[in-house]
Amino acid sequence: MRVPRILEVWKMGVVNYSQALKLQEKLTSDRKLHKITDTLLSLQHPPTYTLGKRQTDHNILVSESELKAMGAELHYTQRGGDVTFHGPHQAILYPIISLRDIGIGARKYVEKLELTMIELASLYGLKACAGQKGETGVWVGRRKIGAIGVRISSGITSHGLAFNVDPDLNYFKHIVPCGIADKEVTSLQKEVQQILLPPEEVIVEQLISCYVRTFDYTDVVSKDISSISLDN
Amino acid sequence: MASRLWATKAASYLRISVPYRGFATGTWTLLICLLPTNAVIKDLKYADSHEWVKVEGNSATVGITDHAQDHLGDVVYVELPEEGTEVTQGASFGAVESVKATSDINSPVSGKVVEVNSKLNDSPGLVNASPYENGWIIKVEMKSADELTCLMDPDQYSKFCEEEDAKH
Repeated sequence: MRVPRILEVWKMGVVNYSQALKLQEKLTSDRKLHKITDTLLSLQHPPTYTLGKRQTDHNILVSESELKAMGAELHYTQRGGDVTFHGPHQAILYPIISLRDIGIGARKYVEKLELTMIELASLYGLKACAGQKGETGVWVGRRKIGAIGVRISSGITSHGLAFNVDPDLNYFKHIVPCGIADKEVTSLQKEVQQILLPPEEVIVEQLISCYVRTFDYTDVVSKDISSISLDN
Repeated sequence: MASRLWATKAASYLRISVPYRGFATGTWTLLICLLPTNAVIKDLKYADSHEWVKVEGNSATVGITDHAQDHLGDVVYVELPEEGTEVTQGASFGAVESVKATSDINSPVSGKVVEVNSKLNDSPGLVNASPYENGWIIKVEMKSADELTCLMDPDQYSKFCEEEDAKH
């Protein structure tokens, strides 16, 4: 008999990066203490550049004040990975889950996040694949469609994946995305070209379904909290 | 069956123990038992967050296990604490980065960091290549040897790893 595995999905709309970080810290602590079950945050950010623990700010090609003038924020984080951009029309999933409960480590976890995005891309006829060594993420040819940056603390995950549905790709010109200089960034819309995509909410639902299947959950509870204040 | 017994005796002589892969039979059993993956070293103690500690007097050397490095992937960065930092059993003192994931490292003992392995700054891959020797991470002046009773011995740790791996 399958052990029941319950996932709680929070559908959140556009969330400021700092708020999302604070929420993840609280949920990580709660998950560590077994107060909550595995939780998945589904959201988007306003234009935001982020750096990982190694603080590779040499991969940001403009000054912070120029970024601010563009209307973007810059955040230094504790996640793995290099510099990246988050913005509207990029679907983000932040799983706050216990890896010890499923007996996997960082490598297997990141592989599953890659598979989640590969599966979504395949729904649109795209043959995406995981990156080669040192190029973690999801690629269509030499173009990166999905990025990953994760933090694991006492076996509990935070941060996660970002899948480019149709963000403004010009924002990526101001960084060396993920520290990889000679490859492009792409999006689902750019890859399918003239084909009309369904509404974004549909694509986000599909991404969540791919995640649920890849991580083998038996039960999913959804919470729509896009209109609720996060200050509690 | 006889080859498994021989392999176990050989492993014991070599001061390593390896988890038995129950699905193997015949001559393959011998090879799989001696595979270096997920090696567990005798005379060390282990935490359930996959760190090892080697105790000599009140000095403790700490690193991550072969199981841990295997499950992490290639380590590209190690965040080391400063010498003189206080560490607490079960609490994070640093991190490793691999495959775009940072993973906290927890200390198996409490005390003061007296030395860090600065070779890991230029060669983080030592953690993968030599998790129990050249890939050591910190040395701690221990507060109390009593804490060691909370840790696992090699056989307990081997069993713990088998049970964890069986979850998926």
